Amino acid sequence: MQYFLDLVIVGLSIGIVYGLVALSISLVYSGLDIVHFAHGEIYMLGAFLGLVVFQFVGAGPGYPLVLLGSMVLTGFVGVAIERLFYRRLTRAGGGYTFAGMGMIICSFGMSIVLQNVAFLIWGPKALPFPVPFGMPIEIGDIALPRSYLWIIIAAVVLMTGLHLFLKKTRLGLAVRAVAHNKEIAYLMGINVPLMISLVFGIACALAAAAGVLIGPINYVQVLMGIGILIKAFAAAVVGGFGNLPGAVVGGLLVGVTESLGAGYVSGNYKDIYAFLLLILVLMLRPSGIFGVDARVKA
Amino acid sequence: MLEIDSVEGGYGSVQILNGVTLKVARGQMVALLGGNGTGKSTLLKAISGLLKPTGGTITFDGQRIDGLRPDLIVRRGLVQVTQGKEAYPAMTVEENLRLGAFVRRDRAGVRRTLDRVFEYFPVLRERRGQLAATLSGGQLQMLCIGRGLMSEPKMILLDEPSAALAPQIVLDIFRIIGRICRDGMTLLMVEQNVRMALLLAEYGYVIKDGVIHIEGPAEALIGDDNVRLSYLGGTVADRDRGLGLH
Ligand SMILES: Nc1ncnc2c1ncn2[C@@H]1O[C@H](COP(=O)(O)OP(=O)(O)OP(=O)(O)O)[C@@H](O)[C@H]1O
Ligand SMILES: [Mg+2]
Repeated sequence: MQYFLDLVIVGLSIGIVYGLVALSISLVYSGLDIVHFAHGEIYMLGAFLGLVVFQFVGAGPGYPLVLLGSMVLTGFVGVAIERLFYRRLTRAGGGYTFAGMGMIICSFGMSIVLQNVAFLIWGPKALPFPVPFGMPIEIGDIALPRSYLWIIIAAVVLMTGLHLFLKKTRLGLAVRAVAHNKEIAYLMGINVPLMISLVFGIACALAAAAGVLIGPINYVQVLMGIGILIKAFAAAVVGGFGNLPGAVVGGLLVGVTESLGAGYVSGNYKDIYAFLLLILVLMLRPSGIFGVDARVKA
Repeated sequence: MLEIDSVEGGYGSVQILNGVTLKVARGQMVALLGGNGTGKSTLLKAISGLLKPTGGTITFDGQRIDGLRPDLIVRRGLVQVTQGKEAYPAMTVEENLRLGAFVRRDRAGVRRTLDRVFEYFPVLRERRGQLAATLSGGQLQMLCIGRGLMSEPKMILLDEPSAALAPQIVLDIFRIIGRICRDGMTLLMVEQNVRMALLLAEYGYVIKDGVIHIEGPAEALIGDDNVRLSYLGGTVADRDRGLGLH
């Protein structure tokens, strides 16, 4: 029983990180109509920038600062990438049009570029992210490592923040309007290009947060984005692609499935379980758990 | 208020507008008529900035607005209500209306305008918490017009407010549009329901192949055989159906 709970806790905390990345991929998809394949590298960049901030401000009470710092920095890098490279393509129509095809190629290219840039700056070695979290918290029989607790708390705070921003603020309303229909949003007097930058920036900041949260329990390395991209896509599709709460639920499901599979069946095939889950969900419900008609997205 | 001078524009290499010239005076309602695919919606998009004109000038309230970003044109007080009742289905009626007031910061003023919109369209007050996806066609059209009013614009461009609605609803909507105009709004209304539009408007333009074909005071156009000839089919039935406005 205790073993089971341990596995679930590990699964949930990894899963919520998948959920965070899936959420930000979904956000980009619903806001910009693009499927952003370079998002794993944004996550990787976030982890490295977090490490930079960490070396700058030091350990201990600085961890929330590290998280925030990396989110802001990566957010601005994202905004720059979108403005310089993606805007030209999405302006021609993005999404399901011919320009959308170019956009997909472009984001694959961006993924390789970012990997190489990170390689040039930080080298090929996996770097430790030695945040001293202190002793695990004991609840009954279970020893809960503080790093996992941190991940769960921080991710929940970020997700709640995003939810409140989208549902309760004037700017969030504008973002939802832009996500659904850009022409009408323009006619409401919304500065659509600015909102697109904002959405992309927020999405990159969330991916960066995921990178910083994973950093201390994994190493930080140039190729870390590839694995998470695939898992996050699985999570997003399981939840219903483009659906924000669905992405989080999908992430948790993928994380727990993976953890239980590795614990009870075999750890060697750890990466398979996510896809078994994906296939199962797609067989039962092709649009994903929360999949909706694309016309009422966001 | 609005002056359009030899405006040209289109989609990609296809030119749709071949030099349109028209004028709307302050407080006036002007009807823009024309058959399907003649460029009426394209002209409205050129005015509201969704489409960049490739030639000519558009002057609103004494200032050039052609080539300006659409949101900046809205901020100057010119709002377009598009064809096809495009509300945000996943948002509530009230959220849709509040979006219409996005450019305004004065909360009290927005609340007053909201009340005024509810006065024009009482059904929206009843449904304010409901998702727009659950509204009927007529209610959606009311929502879109109401949303257009929310920014307190100086002028509204209305694109076929009567399209695809039952005759009784059409009558209701035209009656309210008339009221909005009498309350001081300037309106440019695209319509296929020629007779109704000309009964409401003071002046009318008929567009064909991207140029203004005929223009004149509404009373003169109602009797004009050329206007009727510009419309084949469709509108005869509308004409017989849609009386009782006066
Ligand atoms: N987005 C677009 N891309 C390319 N061509 C378009 C586009 N929108 C409209 N057109 C073409 O431009 C021409 C004029 O269209 P427009 O929508 O202005 O007509 P309309 O007068 O509003 O007609 P309707 O009464 O049917 O609304 C049509 O031939 C149409 O096919
Ligand atoms: Mg039209």
